[in-house]
Amino acid sequence: MAAINLPLIHTPPSIQNFSIKSSQNTSKFFPFSQSNPSPLLSSSFKLYTTAKARASSLIAFAAKNLSESELNSVPETAGEIAGKFPSDAGVYAVYDKEGDVQFIGITRNIAGSVATHWRSVPELCVSVKFGVVDEPDRTNLTQAWKSWMEEHIKVTGKIPPGNESGNATWTRQPPKKKADLRLTPGRHVQLTVPLEELIDQLVKENKVVAFIKGSRSAPMCGFSQRVVGILEAEGVDYESVDVLDEEYNNGLRETLKTYSNWPTFPQIFVDGQLIGGCDILSSMHETGELAGLFKK
Amino acid sequence: MASRGANVVLSRANRMKTKLQSALSASLLEIEDVSHQHAGHAAVKGSAGETHFNVKIVSPKFEGQSLVKRHRMVYDALAEELQSGLHAISIVAKTPQETGAK
Repeated sequence: MAAINLPLIHTPPSIQNFSIKSSQNTSKFFPFSQSNPSPLLSSSFKLYTTAKARASSLIAFAAKNLSESELNSVPETAGEIAGKFPSDAGVYAVYDKEGDVQFIGITRNIAGSVATHWRSVPELCVSVKFGVVDEPDRTNLTQAWKSWMEEHIKVTGKIPPGNESGNATWTRQPPKKKADLRLTPGRHVQLTVPLEELIDQLVKENKVVAFIKGSRSAPMCGFSQRVVGILEAEGVDYESVDVLDEEYNNGLRETLKTYSNWPTFPQIFVDGQLIGGCDILSSMHETGELAGLFKK
Repeated sequence: MASRGANVVLSRANRMKTKLQSALSASLLEIEDVSHQHAGHAAVKGSAGETHFNVKIVSPKFEGQSLVKRHRMVYDALAEELQSGLHAISIVAKTPQETGAK
């Protein structure tokens, strides 16, 4: 099809200069980015084989076409994924270990989507091609996706399995929010071990624990809310404990302040160590340190 | 809480400033009272303002200290305040070099 072989107008940034670009883009896109793949294109779609004229005028927005794009193997950790793939918006194709395309998607955050897929189906997410889309509004992203889909179908005669309607492997919504952990069975139940010991066990047995005010689904303080937001943006599996819960976490606030030698909430623990409150978490999130901490 | 009000001769912000300055020999110290943003917040009901502050502090004593340590140094200097109704501080703690590099 002629449309697909059009010369490039916008070239995606190379991976080499990505590190500079990414820091800008993280802040630029962070409030709007959705690291989960967009579900809108998975159901059904129509080929544009007849509308060549239209397709060729729009295809200029797409990045490189699928066959020209470089195949990148997906690293073994979330932190390396964040380092290898840009957090820009664009189109991407996921390949399994046989080198077959499993899914073609678009996203506001390529690295985020790759990480999400890698976490949910590591065996199908072995390598990835991506194209950054400049001016990534919905139209441009959709066009980029269409052009990659058309190209793939033209070559293989097949729709990628993950794009067939009814296949939810790649578009699964993030799991429902977990319940907050409770430290005690209730305030009227006599504890057999000191509260301090329960805290100690909790933070050592769970990789990431956030002590927040209110529940994780409805934090009652702005700082706790920000902490929950950051942990979810990092895509990390974490436990939360509501320090305001007087029934099940009675006495926790005072005991935790002493345990951690930290006078305020929220408090975030990773591998049993206090990493700080909202300020520290925010700054580590911005510098990328946090992702490094979670990948271990 | 009239009794406490009467004891507050200096504002909390001023006391914080003095304490941080002497504990950390800050080369830059900015304290901003943002309590009004948190008025109505469940935990501060009944206290007479001065509960939430933004603190920006540059001190050579932060050299070589992790963020957690730096924040602890600030909290330690303000221990009394935290026990008497200071509820939360947003802290930016840098060394003179780090600010110079910016």
